[in-house]
Amino acid sequence: MVYRKIFLTAMLALSLFGVPHAIDADDGFEHQIPLGLPKMRVPKDNPLTGAKVELGKQLYFDPRLSRDNTVSCASCHDPEKGWSNGERFATGIRGQVGGRSSPTIINSGYQYFQFWDGRAKHVEGQALGPIQNPIEMDLTLEELVEKLNKIEGYRKAFEEVFGTPVTSDGIAKAIGAFERTVLSGNAPYDQFKQGKEDALSDAARRGMDLFFGKAHCSACHGPPHFTDGGFHNIGVGIENDEPDVGRFAESGLGGDRGSFKTPTLREIEKTAPYMHDGSLATLEDVVEYYDRGGTPNPQLAEDIFPLNLTDQEKADLVTFMKEGLSSPDYPAIKAPELPE
Amino acid sequence: MLRLKGTIVTTLCLLGVNCFAVETEIPDVSGEEVVSGLSNPCGIAVQPGTGHVFVSDSAASRVVRFDPANPGELDEVVTGFPKDIYGKGPIYDIGPLGLKFLDQNTLAVGGGGLKDGQEIVRFYTVPEWGNSITADDMKASAGPVGPGDESVIGEGNFYALAVSPNAIFVTSNGDDTKGWVHKIDLQDNQPGDLQPFIKTKEATNVDAPVGITFHENYVVVGQMGEITVPEDSLLTFYGPRTGRMLANFETGLFDICDLAYSPSNERLYAVDFAWMDTAQGGLFRLDQSSEDGQQTVNSVKVAGLDKPTSLAFAPDGTLYVTIIGTAENDEKPGKVLKFSGDL
Ligand code: HEC
Ligand code: HEC
Repeated sequence: MVYRKIFLTAMLALSLFGVPHAIDADDGFEHQIPLGLPKMRVPKDNPLTGAKVELGKQLYFDPRLSRDNTVSCASCHDPEKGWSNGERFATGIRGQVGGRSSPTIINSGYQYFQFWDGRAKHVEGQALGPIQNPIEMDLTLEELVEKLNKIEGYRKAFEEVFGTPVTSDGIAKAIGAFERTVLSGNAPYDQFKQGKEDALSDAARRGMDLFFGKAHCSACHGPPHFTDGGFHNIGVGIENDEPDVGRFAESGLGGDRGSFKTPTLREIEKTAPYMHDGSLATLEDVVEYYDRGGTPNPQLAEDIFPLNLTDQEKADLVTFMKEGLSSPDYPAIKAPELPE
Repeated sequence: MLRLKGTIVTTLCLLGVNCFAVETEIPDVSGEEVVSGLSNPCGIAVQPGTGHVFVSDSAASRVVRFDPANPGELDEVVTGFPKDIYGKGPIYDIGPLGLKFLDQNTLAVGGGGLKDGQEIVRFYTVPEWGNSITADDMKASAGPVGPGDESVIGEGNFYALAVSPNAIFVTSNGDDTKGWVHKIDLQDNQPGDLQPFIKTKEATNVDAPVGITFHENYVVVGQMGEITVPEDSLLTFYGPRTGRMLANFETGLFDICDLAYSPSNERLYAVDFAWMDTAQGGLFRLDQSSEDGQQTVNSVKVAGLDKPTSLAFAPDGTLYVTIIGTAENDEKPGKVLKFSGDL
């Protein structure tokens, strides 16, 4: 067998970061990737098309995906609230409140793991979860498919996009495709990195240096997504009588006890309160929490330790997150007209 | 054919020869177990001249060696290394890690047994076969890199080493905002200081440089990535003088721990520990490929292995791999495997 000699000439790889680019789909749909975000890998069995994204958007905003027609994905992941819900916990149908906070779905199309404990993979693998969850939207997949098949507009759209009537697989793919277009980039941080010196205020620049240095935040919240996509124990809620075990429930590895997925910090100013249990109300509280070294416990991540930040440094760090990571092109998507 | 080989191996083993076949997934490569009874072996190097294989028997706080002609006989070389733990569960005891020879008689050992900020690279004159020295009998050392501007918590876990004509490159775990590869300059083969050199985290946006080798004129790094995330390991090429990143590739592997080029034809091999799903771990050949006109890496599994940690080629093209293995009844499930054939 003949193999090519490997990597004797390490070519200069073209940087995937920093350059806005678009990927064309068959129907001319352009996946607009903002400055600072890399090209997104889209699953081969779910290519993005304009019609599919539009259908996904309708499904996302449609409360008819819940048993009593009161709750849509947008109820808990609301574009006006940073694609989160502004509350400590999520509230589903009949006012039922869950035990974890709604994360933003911004840039979730880049994530391998979905949910605080990573129990779903990719956005397509996640989308049917909340619909079936009894305290969120509370429909079985059979009920859902039957219900949507009675809505002519959906039947037609599914025929057009998938060549089938409404199916649960199609619902997951369409919603996933839509989520892949909910992106935030081109933040002042990205512009600064691109060479625009005055994109960040002095305070934000000082905060940035802390973020990537003394305050150690980039150990887990590094660019371009400001999350490493992994799981860490930073001690939040560990003092409770029956603490949420987080990732451990999925992996069974002792080291994952009390670990949660690192959330993105893009658009973080809009998604208070913070952490998986919504226990920290403000970014100032978050910085105080890290400054004292989190909550000690046997699985506490090595990258969490007392930071000894001054008041000025704490304020600068918050300024960097608020100012540096909020995009002027925030994805302020409006609810579309829903099919009849 | 394979079956026949298995039968022969079994027969030999019944005859009392210390050998167990290791299944491989590509033709013309065969594997066998040559040493067992090790405790978290984490580093391996072949001594120039003698061909003896040196292994960091990490949890046993020692470096041992064996002669491939008689792998049943282990000889202690350096003992009494400090020991620490790695991971939060599973937890591994670790002591000495990466091994590399600077010349036939000088062995460099990356430490893993001291706390971050105190860790050093140790250099030894290799004692005669049958004699051992203690970890403190160093002829030189480099480091530590304590807490400071370069590294908020200081550096430790010197996983692997690569040697160029005038420097040693050392991967480490310490400040995860930087992901340092360190450099030790060599003057007349004498090691200088341990200096933070490449910020791999800033270059690649991914954590944990672990595997490393020097090839042609490149420092080649296997970036492990997050241990809780699959398929995020990278293969990255840097310039040895500037530390500039020249190329960076996704490999689809989980957690690359070590890299080595085959001497016979310069193919590149990696071991993947696959922390979050160790059933996926193994020995891989990293082939050059291309997609949309861009150079890419295609990872080809050579053998599925139980928590492999390091690998080294002998000049004749034989490949040695250490695995941590799984303790069932066996308290020391660590092994050295040998692969030969078309590597
Ligand atoms: C009742 C509130 C509620 C509704 C309705 C809801 N979600 Fe969620 N969503 C949550 C909560 C809470 C989590 C985190 C749960 C966990 O991690 O255990 C979550 C997590 C997610 C995540 C993972 C994000 C990440 O970073 O891990 C995605 C994606 C998501 N939801 C999309 C959707 C979609 C699509 C719908 C509609 C089909 C939907 N959600 C409906 C509350 C809700
Ligand atoms: C060891 C990894 C790690 C480090 C270091 C780290 N974080 Fe986090 N961060 C996490 C994880 C994991 C969570 C989610 C924890 C939870 O919900 O229990 C989180 C949550 C957050 C949140 C809340 C996000 C949300 O959507 O609720 C903010 C804000 C944040 N971190 C900012 C920071 C800042 C600022 C620093 C530096 C001072 C920092 N982090 C350092 C891992 C880390």
